[in-house]
Amino acid sequence: MSVIDVTNVSKSFDKIKAVQGISFSVPKALCFGLLGPNGAGKSTLLRMLYGVCNRDHDSNASISVFGFDPQKNSLAIKAISGVVPQENNLDDELNVEQNLNIFARFYNIPKIQAKKRIDELLDFMEIADKHKAKIRELSGGMKQRLLIARALLNNPKLLILDEPTTGLDPQVRHLIWEKLRNLKRSGLTIMVTTHYMEEAFQICDTIMIMNKGNRIIEGNPQRLVADHIEPFVLEFYKKEAYDSVFSMLGSQNARHETTGDSIRVYSKDETMLRDVVRVLKPGEFFLRQSNLEDLFLKTTGSQLNAQQ
Amino acid sequence: MRNNNSQPYPVFLIRLSSVWYRHFRVYTKSLISNGLPAFLEPLIFLAGIGLGMGTYLPRMQGMSYLTFLATGLPMTAAMFTSSFECSYGTFIRLEFDKTYEGMLTAPLLVRDLFIGEILWCGTKGMFFSLAVVCIVALFGLVPMPASFCACIIGFMAGVMFASLSLFITSFVSNINHFNFYFTGFLSPMFFFSGVVFPIQNLPKALQPVAEFFPLTHVVRLCRGIDLWSFSVTMVWDFLFIAAFCVLSASFAISRLKKRLVL
Repeated sequence: MSVIDVTNVSKSFDKIKAVQGISFSVPKALCFGLLGPNGAGKSTLLRMLYGVCNRDHDSNASISVFGFDPQKNSLAIKAISGVVPQENNLDDELNVEQNLNIFARFYNIPKIQAKKRIDELLDFMEIADKHKAKIRELSGGMKQRLLIARALLNNPKLLILDEPTTGLDPQVRHLIWEKLRNLKRSGLTIMVTTHYMEEAFQICDTIMIMNKGNRIIEGNPQRLVADHIEPFVLEFYKKEAYDSVFSMLGSQNARHETTGDSIRVYSKDETMLRDVVRVLKPGEFFLRQSNLEDLFLKTTGSQLNAQQ
Repeated sequence: MRNNNSQPYPVFLIRLSSVWYRHFRVYTKSLISNGLPAFLEPLIFLAGIGLGMGTYLPRMQGMSYLTFLATGLPMTAAMFTSSFECSYGTFIRLEFDKTYEGMLTAPLLVRDLFIGEILWCGTKGMFFSLAVVCIVALFGLVPMPASFCACIIGFMAGVMFASLSLFITSFVSNINHFNFYFTGFLSPMFFFSGVVFPIQNLPKALQPVAEFFPLTHVVRLCRGIDLWSFSVTMVWDFLFIAAFCVLSASFAISRLKKRLVL
């Protein structure tokens, strides 16, 4: 049984089509990731899941979360879901504990139970020593962990996160990923948007790459990379270096991509790339395995769009 | 495929009380700096105008000028505190702090947010009108204990100006536009609603206009209760206040909903 079922959903803002005919479903206890550049429609899609954005009217379109339509019964969905928004909206006037207490009231959790739950969650997110701290005293990473703790107060069955680790340092990102994997193991379904390919690799079972409101590709991240992109990449940082070896790069089994002044050559033929590298100077190139980022750039185009 | 194990969501009144509690906690966190101006302003006006000019003025509606002012000023205290909360306060929560966006991730509807907020403003109106009554009572300016009842009208004033201010806020896209509301509407109302002088002293042609100012009605009710003298006009006052609250709150909520649920 799926926790989330989205069928043929579109959303227009004035003349902009933010989301165009998207369908997907998320099974229980899995993590589903939405990837895409800014303006791809990821956040709009997330917001539709808990009823703060209405889909375009269309009798063929539907959204079901735990069997409820967010446009008709958002309360039922929100009572068993947790949402971590993109922007921090903690109350600066209150301390950590008080911020959580306010939300415990929203969920109507009895006082004693709320206190226990808050202790547990601050412990779980490793900010147990910050009970009485003011919000202004917290680092970006701590605020984010507090927002996740807040979203977990009601013991949700679904966790929705909008770019949970944007702008955070690597240690905190790894900590958050570890926590999300823990939660998933305990049966929580997770829906996440991200720009980070690494994040998708680390936590998502399925990803959907979106661009300009459209679905580009969907599947298991590892498998998508294996199926849709050449396994090796040779990156050049100077056009001259690239030109000097251009004749050695067989045009038959290599794909060339240019972004600004860096050029990437993708190929299945590792031997050929290694031969090329031998004549280059260190610092002019980087030979590596391809990853989700390459797939992302291939599918969404390597040029910036107006909203980036 | 309905999930039978789902926790039921909190009922309407619980949701309202949780919103009320949120505002209560945030506001009382810095009560002195938040509350002192709202409390002192009417008293300063009372001292400056009442004590100063009042000695030159005749009795008004059968009472000394100081008493006349002291029976109207609790309502302006309620008006200003509630109007600030639901204009600048609401706008900041809406556009800068993204407070409502956060609250809407919890089991709350847009309607819950704003009805809860209006009730919170009613509470503030009651509290500040009571605070003013307590001070003026110390100087024996208002009849006791009837004047304590005026805080109920203070609650109504709080609710009414919260609804109106939310309605105004629903149109505002730049926080500076509230200057028009305060200087262009609330300040004139302060002078022409029977607080500073009776509306009977207004030019004949303008008297009916004063009847459309929301402040006029709460001031008349407040003074009526203070002096324990009731009239049929007060029924009209009650009806006006009720209709005004219902209309402005429902328009405000439906307009604000469009800004929060896209």
